[in-house]
Amino acid sequence: MPDDASWTTIGAAVPRIEGRAKVTGQALYASDEPVANPAFAFLVLSTAARGRIRSFDLRAAQAVAGVLDILTYENVGHEADPPAPHGAGEETTTMQTSRIWHDGQIIGVVVAETYEAAREAAYAVGVEYDAEAPSATFDSPGVQEEVREPGEHKDFAVGDADAAFDAAAVRIDARFGTPTQHHNPIELFTTTCTWHDGSLTVYEPSQFVHGLRGSLAKQLRMDPKRIRVVARHVGGAFGSKGIPSARTAWIAVAARRLNRPVKLVATRGQGYTIATYRAETRHHIRLAAGRDGRLLALRHEGWEVTSRPSDYNVSGTETTARMYACPNILTRVNIVHTDRNTPGFMRAPPDVPYMFPLEVAMDELAEALGMDPVELRRVNDTQTDPATGQAFSSRSLMRCFDQAAARFGWADRTPQPRSMRDGDWLLGWGCAAAAYPANIGAGAARVLLGPDGQATVQIAAHDIGNGSHTIIAQTAAERLGLRLEAVTVQLGDSDLPPAGLAAGSSHASGICHAVAHACEDVRARIAVAATTSNAGPFAGRDPATLILAQGRLRGEDGTAEPLHDALARVTGGALEAYAENIPKGLPPDSVGKLYSGQMAISRGTQREDLTTYAFGAQFVEVRVHARTGETRVSRAVGAFAAGRIINPRTAHSQLMGGMIWGISSALHEATEIDTRAARYVNDNIAEYLIPVNADVREVEAIIVPEQDAEVNPLGMKGIGEIGVVGMNAAISNAVYHATGRRIRDLPIRIEDLL
Amino acid sequence: MDIVLTINGREHRLGVDVRTTLLDVLRERLGLTGSKKGCDQGQCGACTVLMDGQRVLGCFTLAAAAQGAAITTIEGLAGDGAPLHPMQQAFLDHDAYQCGYCTPGQIMSAIACVTEGHARTEDEIREFMSGNLCRCAAYPKIVAAVAQAKLAMGHA
Repeated sequence: MPDDASWTTIGAAVPRIEGRAKVTGQALYASDEPVANPAFAFLVLSTAARGRIRSFDLRAAQAVAGVLDILTYENVGHEADPPAPHGAGEETTTMQTSRIWHDGQIIGVVVAETYEAAREAAYAVGVEYDAEAPSATFDSPGVQEEVREPGEHKDFAVGDADAAFDAAAVRIDARFGTPTQHHNPIELFTTTCTWHDGSLTVYEPSQFVHGLRGSLAKQLRMDPKRIRVVARHVGGAFGSKGIPSARTAWIAVAARRLNRPVKLVATRGQGYTIATYRAETRHHIRLAAGRDGRLLALRHEGWEVTSRPSDYNVSGTETTARMYACPNILTRVNIVHTDRNTPGFMRAPPDVPYMFPLEVAMDELAEALGMDPVELRRVNDTQTDPATGQAFSSRSLMRCFDQAAARFGWADRTPQPRSMRDGDWLLGWGCAAAAYPANIGAGAARVLLGPDGQATVQIAAHDIGNGSHTIIAQTAAERLGLRLEAVTVQLGDSDLPPAGLAAGSSHASGICHAVAHACEDVRARIAVAATTSNAGPFAGRDPATLILAQGRLRGEDGTAEPLHDALARVTGGALEAYAENIPKGLPPDSVGKLYSGQMAISRGTQREDLTTYAFGAQFVEVRVHARTGETRVSRAVGAFAAGRIINPRTAHSQLMGGMIWGISSALHEATEIDTRAARYVNDNIAEYLIPVNADVREVEAIIVPEQDAEVNPLGMKGIGEIGVVGMNAAISNAVYHATGRRIRDLPIRIEDLL
Repeated sequence: MDIVLTINGREHRLGVDVRTTLLDVLRERLGLTGSKKGCDQGQCGACTVLMDGQRVLGCFTLAAAAQGAAITTIEGLAGDGAPLHPMQQAFLDHDAYQCGYCTPGQIMSAIACVTEGHARTEDEIREFMSGNLCRCAAYPKIVAAVAQAKLAMGHA
């Protein structure tokens, strides 16, 4: 029987299966979950950035009608420990003690009958501080700078980069900076806690429900089996909902004290200090090449801000050292401790800040050499990881450059700055490379196949807009030979088998492999029953040759029987299979780690057999007004090769969204800091600029076909991050081409171009 | 204070704090959680609902001030199993969302954008949909969805 394309699911651009729920308002995000008779919480945040709380005056707050409870370190400090640090070093505390680590630290929780009463009372809480002068950011008095020791992140020293640089014919030596950025998902940071017979249920937007469960168990000194975390839909995350935040345990404590559900919806402004952010960075890059354009030396040193006790850093030199063939490489990262909240991961955490200086420096080098920037990348392309000497599993960087350049019309570019113009608008064309490691998470899944031909897949995956619901259903439908509509997906619940952290472009490949494994178990059991049976069309055959396809069990010769009949040999009811997937590069206890709430991600930078990365190329046209300096991205074309794409429709949205994030990063976003108070000034989404619809013009994302049999069995690389990676540099390079001004500090603003 | 609200064709009598917003009444009192809270200060548009066909921000409208108007929320566009409104269908068709959190507000705003006559060109759609932030950045697909639904809604 010929294959019917209507059954094809992996690789098909099908609409999101949860789409109807999303467009009708029926999709339940955490704060939408109905709970009976909730009380409402409002956080009290510190207005000092360093020091101690001397005293509280709660009289006015307690006098507000409807107030039920006020939590501070004085009455509940011993009831919860802080979350574990999410990097090396220690984490800041909140209500455990009187200590103040940063402005906007949680110092109290007011609970009341209504949201309005809780808010009024929270603003009536009086606080006296013993405050000290805080250190806000780079160059502030009192910061502590130290070299980041190798640990989670490595440095590279290949050859002698300093000597090669000194001896080279063409050299670029430049310093760069990137600003503080906040994720600002449109869904706020919310937490709803309910207790029942000593068990806790938490509704909270999360990128790692098992991680939050494990953290809460430690913080509240509970058996994790008595905690359930639910996040059926997550309203954007971008990294901000991956790390347990301090708020959750305090809301759980508040609900326990009242014996009543408590609901917190933190304000937009509070989100700037009760969760994480992308720290500001600085860079010193030295690039040297021969007259033929071949790189001779790369030296990349970074500086990153973190909090006073944490050593968190992103160390994007792990990518920049791998971009181009180069015999002499030296990388180094420094961390700068300040009196701020601890940063964390935000979309393409290492690569957004670190690829910016490298790819601008490459543009500067191309100009110094008189070479086309694309040709400079071609001359230095390599299939071998220059930092380690091992092979890339696949690397289609130049295919991406060639496809994007052709689509963009790059051949029509005149290289001289200020040489292209449209009336009062200076046109600039720029490009840059993008790369992101092909990470993959460990995971587990359960599949139930019923006699009615309906399947249910259970996996505690996270749909943060990344399309998890749909790609899980596609994988199961393909492997079970079912129509997509016959598959129901349950995710976002820590009572389900764990799927790990939805971050770092590791999730799609992690969950699809776990689901495929469970489906394979179903197939194998049905096939074994069919081949060991004395009767039926498959008796005596090799079970490995049978597949589930188009509602049938099918042999290589086309022999087929309905799935219902094949399943009946195994069970009269439903067949259940549970399987775990431990990707190459991870230890055998990795799924156990997930159950206990720890991360288990095999990183493309850390495998011992291969280096695995997705690559891309990004081209932009900017229009800079000659008189006002107004800068607009009028066109952006990106091409990305990321292995097998499960759903080109949702993947396209991820890539396009990433590219618009890049426009935002280069031209719009920056959290401004009042350095005297170490306080975020523009802590709202009117003054923290993100693009609105009218800011975005043509944005085209091209998916370049790529087969990679080495990266993992399904040949998948993630695509959640890579779209944003090259945009900072591509836009800065285009602005240079338009204006002749090389902007090395982001974001690029009108005042930089006047 | 005691108020009467007409929401999706149904009357609701309830007692509220004078400070309570329409958004909080919808979400916390009536279980209509399709309207979303993204900023609570009129910046993001996720709480957009229609009052007598005009788009308003639920977080910027006191519940008491919403009396006497016909209020339509995302839940009022298509009942269980009923056909989708052309704008809802267009958002599905164009993958005009990712996380979906801003989507109810985008759809309510988009319907008004069309009925106001502000969807004549793509530039006009971009301009008149700029009060609804989408951090996933589905903007080009939102423009395409509005352009499609406009025709199905009988507007040129």
